[in-house]
Amino acid sequence: MLLRHEGFRRLCQARDRLREVGEPCPSIADVARDVRISPFHFIRQFEAAFGVTPHQFRIHTRLDLAKRLLAMGQYSVTDVCMEVGFSSLGSFSALFTRRLGETPSAYRRRVRAMSQVPGTIPAGLTPGCLTLMGGLPPRAFAKASRNFEEA
Amino acid sequence: MRIKLTSIMVDEQDKATRFYTEILGFKKKHDIPVGEYRWITVTSPEGPDDLELVLEPNANPAARLFQEAMFSQGIPLAAFEVTDIGGEFARLTAQGVAFTRPPTKAGPVTLAVFADTCGNLIQLYQPV
Repeated sequence: MLLRHEGFRRLCQARDRLREVGEPCPSIADVARDVRISPFHFIRQFEAAFGVTPHQFRIHTRLDLAKRLLAMGQYSVTDVCMEVGFSSLGSFSALFTRRLGETPSAYRRRVRAMSQVPGTIPAGLTPGCLTLMGGLPPRAFAKASRNFEEA
Repeated sequence: MRIKLTSIMVDEQDKATRFYTEILGFKKKHDIPVGEYRWITVTSPEGPDDLELVLEPNANPAARLFQEAMFSQGIPLAAFEVTDIGGEFARLTAQGVAFTRPPTKAGPVTLAVFADTCGNLIQLYQPV
């Protein structure tokens, strides 16, 4: 698939629109119409460029935002649910739990325990470039080098 | 001092592992859980074996903004050298990869650009 200039620019615009969480929430067909791509091609092209359908992208974006807000600690689960564009606490909690394997309140408790500073996101949730290697088990690199020498 | 690791930010590590191994054809070298994320590296089967590409979680909001802006501007964040760019273009297109630039001659190289499905544009180049 080839996405040349204008087609590519429209897909990027659509991605920005799908990030918006305000009301009223446009349907996927609305977003496709706004960027002047047929719904069929829109879903196909979006998935090829971003690895998920527009609908999945919107859900991921909202759950990511929900995780960030929960990690900050000062918002209730209900506040977070409304803030990320869900109107039903039940469907928000069910979706969160299904996708992430724990309830919003369990997630909030667990990640809050990682930080001593209220109102900030625990550092472990936003690793900087390559800092993860500091958390590897002892000799992770020694083993890799040895394997290379044997190969 | 040696260059042994380089990295690319990816929006989702599972999806990235699938794309970089199953679609591009790199080999997974490390996949080790670290806190909320994983330390995942891939190598090219065409070598060198000790040069690893880290698939880093793009969890930092500042990095995300950067990545999205570069993507929207059409700017690739990594470049891989190939020996048959026409063949790679055909192979990857057949697997559903979206290119923003087909193989195009530009000075000393022929280059092409595709989306890695994880938030980045990647440039392939073949020295002429």
